[in-house]
Amino acid sequence: MSVTIDGSASVTINNGAVLGITSGTAVASTSGTSIDFTGIPSWVKRVTVMLSGVSTSGSSYVLIRIGAGSVDSTSYTGITAVGWSGIANYSDTSGFPLYYNTNTYTLSGAMVLTNISSNIWVISGTVAMTGLNGVIMTGGTKTLSGTLDRVRITTVNGTDTFDAGSINILYEG
Amino acid sequence: MTHRIVVNVQTGEVTQVEYTPEEQAVHDAAVAAQQAEAEAKALADAQALAQAQAAQQTATQSTTP
Repeated sequence: MSVTIDGSASVTINNGAVLGITSGTAVASTSGTSIDFTGIPSWVKRVTVMLSGVSTSGSSYVLIRIGAGSVDSTSYTGITAVGWSGIANYSDTSGFPLYYNTNTYTLSGAMVLTNISSNIWVISGTVAMTGLNGVIMTGGTKTLSGTLDRVRITTVNGTDTFDAGSINILYEG
Repeated sequence: MTHRIVVNVQTGEVTQVEYTPEEQAVHDAAVAAQQAEAEAKALADAQALAQAQAAQQTATQSTTP
């Protein structure tokens, strides 16, 4: 027996989860010190952060933060490395970093946040660094105090501004 | 004023949220600290360069017959 669902509306199941992958709204990362995606539903188990040609005004590294009710900026295990003709690494406890200078280079790629259990989230992903011919690899974990409902893309110093590219998320249960 | 972009994924609404006066004060203080740090580093680099050049000049003079 096969089941066919034919309609333009999304399909939800008993816990409210929408079947399949839902896209957020792509925004131009051409201004502001951070870009927040809020209102992420409580049933979400995986969030993909996508960056295309993202650049900032300064040399501070791009950082991904998550939160439950508000953005959390402490107690992350975030480790990143960039490989080009050489290799360099960096770690941060205030977010998941994408290591290297985005004033000179631009970022394109995706980072995937996955819920292991309860409020424990892990992140992994690979991002290309155009201009450097480099590849950034980032991994890490973070335990939230509640259910994840937001993701912030910002910089380590919090004062550099985005000046190119676009950012969006996908989420799924 | 400094701002952030906020996207509500359920409504699709995209808003530009201006910093509150308190957030702006924190931001301005951080920028001032970064500038002071950069100026201090530039000064230290210039002094180190001047010392290195002076030492090289002294060494050149002492080896000149």
